[in-house]
Amino acid sequence: MTEVQPSKEVAEYTEVHRHPEPKSFLWKYIFSVDHKVIGIQYLLLAVVAVFVGMALSLLVRLRLVCPECSYPLLGQFFPVGAPEGVMTPEFYLAMLTMHGTVMVFMVLTTAPQGGFGNYFLPIQIGAADMAFPRLNMLSFWTTFVSFLLLMAAFVVEGGAPMSGWTGYPPLSALPEATLPGIGQDLWLASIAVFCIASLLGALNFIVTTLDLRAKGLTMMRMPLTCWTWFVTAILGLLAFGVLLAAGVLLLMDRNVGTSFFVPAGLVVSDKVIDHSGGSPILWQHLFWFFGHPEVYIAILPGMGVTSHVLSTFARKTVFGYRAMVYAIAAIGGLGFVVWGHHMFVSGMSPYSAFVFSVLTMCIGVPSAIKTFNWIGTMWGGKIRFTSPMLYSIGFVSLFVSGGLSGIFLGQPTVDLYFHDTYFVVAHFHLIMGVAAIFGMFAGLTFWFPKMFGKMMNEPLSKIHFWITFVGVYAIFGPMHYLGMLPHPRRYAEITSVDYLGATGAAELHMFITVAAVLTVLAQFIFLYNFVKSIFAGKECREENPWEATTLEWTIPSPPPHDNFAGKVPHVYRGAYDFALRGAKRDFAMQCNDDKAVYGEPAPQASGD
Amino acid sequence: MPATLSPSEAPPVTSTGGGDFVTLPPVQGGDWHNPGGDRVVQRYKLGVWIGMGGILMFFAALTSAMIVRQGLSGDWVPVAVPPVLYVSTLVLLVSSFTVERARREAVAGNMEGLRRWMNLSAGVGLAFLAGQLMGWQELAERGLYVASNPANSFYYLLTAGHALHLLGGIAVMGYVWVRIRASRPWPTRLAVVEATALYWHFLDVLWIYILGLLVFWR
Repeated sequence: MTEVQPSKEVAEYTEVHRHPEPKSFLWKYIFSVDHKVIGIQYLLLAVVAVFVGMALSLLVRLRLVCPECSYPLLGQFFPVGAPEGVMTPEFYLAMLTMHGTVMVFMVLTTAPQGGFGNYFLPIQIGAADMAFPRLNMLSFWTTFVSFLLLMAAFVVEGGAPMSGWTGYPPLSALPEATLPGIGQDLWLASIAVFCIASLLGALNFIVTTLDLRAKGLTMMRMPLTCWTWFVTAILGLLAFGVLLAAGVLLLMDRNVGTSFFVPAGLVVSDKVIDHSGGSPILWQHLFWFFGHPEVYIAILPGMGVTSHVLSTFARKTVFGYRAMVYAIAAIGGLGFVVWGHHMFVSGMSPYSAFVFSVLTMCIGVPSAIKTFNWIGTMWGGKIRFTSPMLYSIGFVSLFVSGGLSGIFLGQPTVDLYFHDTYFVVAHFHLIMGVAAIFGMFAGLTFWFPKMFGKMMNEPLSKIHFWITFVGVYAIFGPMHYLGMLPHPRRYAEITSVDYLGATGAAELHMFITVAAVLTVLAQFIFLYNFVKSIFAGKECREENPWEATTLEWTIPSPPPHDNFAGKVPHVYRGAYDFALRGAKRDFAMQCNDDKAVYGEPAPQASGD
Repeated sequence: MPATLSPSEAPPVTSTGGGDFVTLPPVQGGDWHNPGGDRVVQRYKLGVWIGMGGILMFFAALTSAMIVRQGLSGDWVPVAVPPVLYVSTLVLLVSSFTVERARREAVAGNMEGLRRWMNLSAGVGLAFLAGQLMGWQELAERGLYVASNPANSFYYLLTAGHALHLLGGIAVMGYVWVRIRASRPWPTRLAVVEATALYWHFLDVLWIYILGLLVFWR
């Protein structure tokens, strides 16, 4: 450890960042400006949301396999949606809508970026906090308000909206078309507030990455996690403003009587609607201009964690680091020019569809680069099969499985057939839902010792991994077959359709539902492991239990209030220096200079 | 090293291996941020530049919706821009000068000057908003409300969207005013003023764009 007097520049650099540690509970844990506390707040919000979302998906599954079954408890909570415990078709659609919304916004968008990104971006780049700590706090609490607004939709008259997580008009725009109530308005308000929160967060992430990196930490030395958080923030910055605008327009259509998305002469319940000249397709364009980048907002951080974990536990440097960075940027960039592939069935010109299709296929290239490099990273490595490693390998598997069906759906002629079927449900759940969730499991098990100073129970994590991994394939694998039948999605009742009976669809649905119930139950193993480990897990006070290389592993577990305890790390090398020839250990941390790695005299300098 | 790593075989304690750290003097309690410097000014301004990206996308989405909606069906009746808007545009341009003056006072460390010019800017900003209000009133007197016609809808949306952003700027000016009155040490003062000035100029340019859209793309 070299004690150096800080230069004026370096002193300024961190001094402005530090704020004294708050003492009272309120300022330390509730309205905290510490990025670590805010990160955990985001994670807890996501944990609550994910269990709400899973419960909703179970209701959806139960209604599908047994439309007439009665669940008395449900009837008590939702006397209108489930009279005497039997779910109405409207209730089914509402649960479907809320499942999608809760999962996409409150889980997939908050946990990987707001949770892990908040906690580890500043530490991995050697900063004491985010660039704007108070803005960070504001982002979280705004997100929280958005969550409350969304949950409020359950309890208002008329219940939750039923226009899908995509909120397609005219159904979403016409109160006349649904049960009377403000559920859809609350939904839109929630989304609008969420947009503002995400914009503030994105701004903070970008400035932090650009401005707060430690000395010596060039962009091309950043861990790939930081790269994915950075690109995700750029996507969020450019996408959420568009959704906000669309949401405002839709709110006005519902409440002020404007006609942005509602066409003229529409007849609902035998009455002509008093709107003129709008177009639902306009909403689809605005929504999907946000919606497609949103998919990458959900999955990119998972990719970053996967790269990070694979390299650490294969004891090898990331295969093709630069290619990985360019692939992340390419996926982010291309994400903005492919939104039309969600709209092939909207009647768009075949020429436009062709352009969107070709651009969509282009995303296969960086995606394949990433997959190839993940395998290349593991190839020939001394793999340690820890639970984060298993989740990361699971991520790669799910990403490939979900990605392959994307190539089918990216072609307009094939999509015309598949679009309204379970094939799409299978595709987006595998790639956007479950793969991203596996990224979170990997992140949580990997960083748990750093965050809480305890270890999670490895055998329990592994049991959870295997049940979940097999479970999600059991759920979504058969849906591909259902889609080929073709079995329509979004339908509340399928049991009385003859041709589906003959093809065994009903049995498959039962199989899927059983698998879903078991997989959801397995999540309680993880929850138990998580909660128990926080309070009674095995102590792990080592700085670097995984023998990893990045800066978060140079500080105590859990990290002190200002991360580096009044020190400024100096970075000398890239993030994944494993298995260096001639080195004293099989890895070199980013803050190690060549003298520390090789001893005297230093041989050739290692590359980045 | 075993192939798997169970908690019972916790890995050996590894040190950071002789890294290079710089030790800083202990944190001073009290104020939020410790004394800043150019670095903080740059960071705040970078924040505003990045924020502009998000705001621009919001208005780009409205613009594209407006252009698409215009071509959708024959119900678009162009709305004549109320003349008061040209006056308020001039007012807003003037405010950019006063904000710039306030910024220079802050750079020179002249608190009194900063307060005076910042207040003046906030006042001029409010005058601009009053002009917008008069514009809305004039439309309402012509019987043109938000939902009367899609062209009106976009008129109200774009002007109100801009006005809300401007109100945000005025709120920050109020914050500066309060902080100066409190006369406590406030090292991010210059950064906040610089960021506000940059944001204000951006809103100025954004308004010119919106006005152009309303006048020439009716």
